[in-house]
Amino acid sequence: MVKLFKSTKPALKKLTAEDISVEISDLSVYFGKKSVLRDISMVIPKHRITSFIGQSGCGKTTLISSMNRMNDLNKNHRCTGSITIDGQNIHSKKINVAKLRTQVGMVFQAPNPFPMSIYDNVAFGLRLQKQIPRRQLDEAVERALKNAVLWDEVKDQLFASASILSGGQQQRLMIARALALKPKILLLDEPTSALDPLATLHIEELMQTLKKNTTIVMITHNMQQAARLSDYTAFFHQGELVEYADSDKLFTQPKHKQTEDYITGRYG
Amino acid sequence: MANFSNNTRFNSHISRTFNRELEDLRNAVLVMGGEIEVQYQDALEALLQHDIKLAEKVILNDVKINAMEVEIDSECLRILAIRNPTASDLRLVMTVSKMVIELERMGDEIEKIAQFVNSTEFVYSDELKLGITHMAQDVQTILRDTFNAFARQDLKTTMNIFALERLVDEKYNELRLQLEQEIQQNVQHIHYWLDVNTLIRSFERIADRCVNLCEYLVYLAGGKDLRHNSGKKIQKKIQALIKS
Repeated sequence: MVKLFKSTKPALKKLTAEDISVEISDLSVYFGKKSVLRDISMVIPKHRITSFIGQSGCGKTTLISSMNRMNDLNKNHRCTGSITIDGQNIHSKKINVAKLRTQVGMVFQAPNPFPMSIYDNVAFGLRLQKQIPRRQLDEAVERALKNAVLWDEVKDQLFASASILSGGQQQRLMIARALALKPKILLLDEPTSALDPLATLHIEELMQTLKKNTTIVMITHNMQQAARLSDYTAFFHQGELVEYADSDKLFTQPKHKQTEDYITGRYG
Repeated sequence: MANFSNNTRFNSHISRTFNRELEDLRNAVLVMGGEIEVQYQDALEALLQHDIKLAEKVILNDVKINAMEVEIDSECLRILAIRNPTASDLRLVMTVSKMVIELERMGDEIEKIAQFVNSTEFVYSDELKLGITHMAQDVQTILRDTFNAFARQDLKTTMNIFALERLVDEKYNELRLQLEQEIQQNVQHIHYWLDVNTLIRSFERIADRCVNLCEYLVYLAGGKDLRHNSGKKIQKKIQALIKS
């Protein structure tokens, strides 16, 4: 039988160990006495875009923040279960958290460039890591800006303040800052919610290019964005993973009524 | 299946405007279906009574059906562009967009029946006339049940329609044999026999299109695509949907 529209991505159930970037097992997260995530078990496929959707407060940000242990910064934080990245439990005592955060980069909803030049913003993480000769640093900055599809727009003003950039450019600068550290995984928390449609398209195109070498996990409240951009989508409700499936399937034939109600804008 | 059996499903969005748009879309298909039923009834009566005036009315009314197809389809496009529907909402819009094509073509087949009345004197035998009448009545039942199944969102009825359509196919094959015999006995009216052949073919095609509509209804209900499946597989899939 001739397949005209062949899917190149494997079904979630058929992923092999090599296809998996992150494995989350029975993860529960608490802030003080409040339970924010309950018994989350899922795998994030390597070099794919996975979207997390759900109402505000359902635990999406807590989950992606758990992947690079950003939640550790909150003293009331406690978690059970495990998160394994490339075979290593990130809660193991052997893990260097600073190194983990270079491998698992994060970009937030609102672009937050440091009050310094475009160049210094991108070089910031690299300089923190170790001393790098100027030429190498130049190359790394250029590569990161090119990968973030920003180079052509800023190459003549690298030492100008980052604040002169538009919102869309600033967000791509934030992605360049994360990419400079060559992360294996990129976590994006509503990366385009503050951007206009054209800037959004730039970021979406960028993500499609980046996924060739990077695993991307994105939180979005834009259903169409999740549907058109992500390979897989997970729907969360009140701290629980309700449904996790191939995006094509989830947005056309969701299995759970809660998912259907959420994505179609019905009363939950 | 709860989605389909609950009549209020298309009415429960947070956006009331969207609720109204989907309800209006569904109602528009029912109006178009109602119009097709009336057209069929009139065409059948014109055929059996050889009522040329009524046949002319049917031919003129087909313009209405065509206009309905265009209007409903453009509303589907508008909803797709503006609402970006997903899941069962998307299936409803896509289903309606395909259903109106089937309905419009049913209208064309009905128009052909009326044209037959207009252009031809009856010379066929009583036996052939009786056979055509029986098949036409079965098709009328299929047509009525199909629109009822859509209006009531009733999957059980679609199973009967699939079975009844197979009977219509059998009757069509019998009529073709009978027609061959009559042609051999009365070769000089060959143009007339070709028209009769088109006539019985039109009835058979209307039943086929009802089956296509039922397949879309099943897709709407549970996302199962029944196209080009065998009768047994279709029964199995519908039963599974009814149970779920």
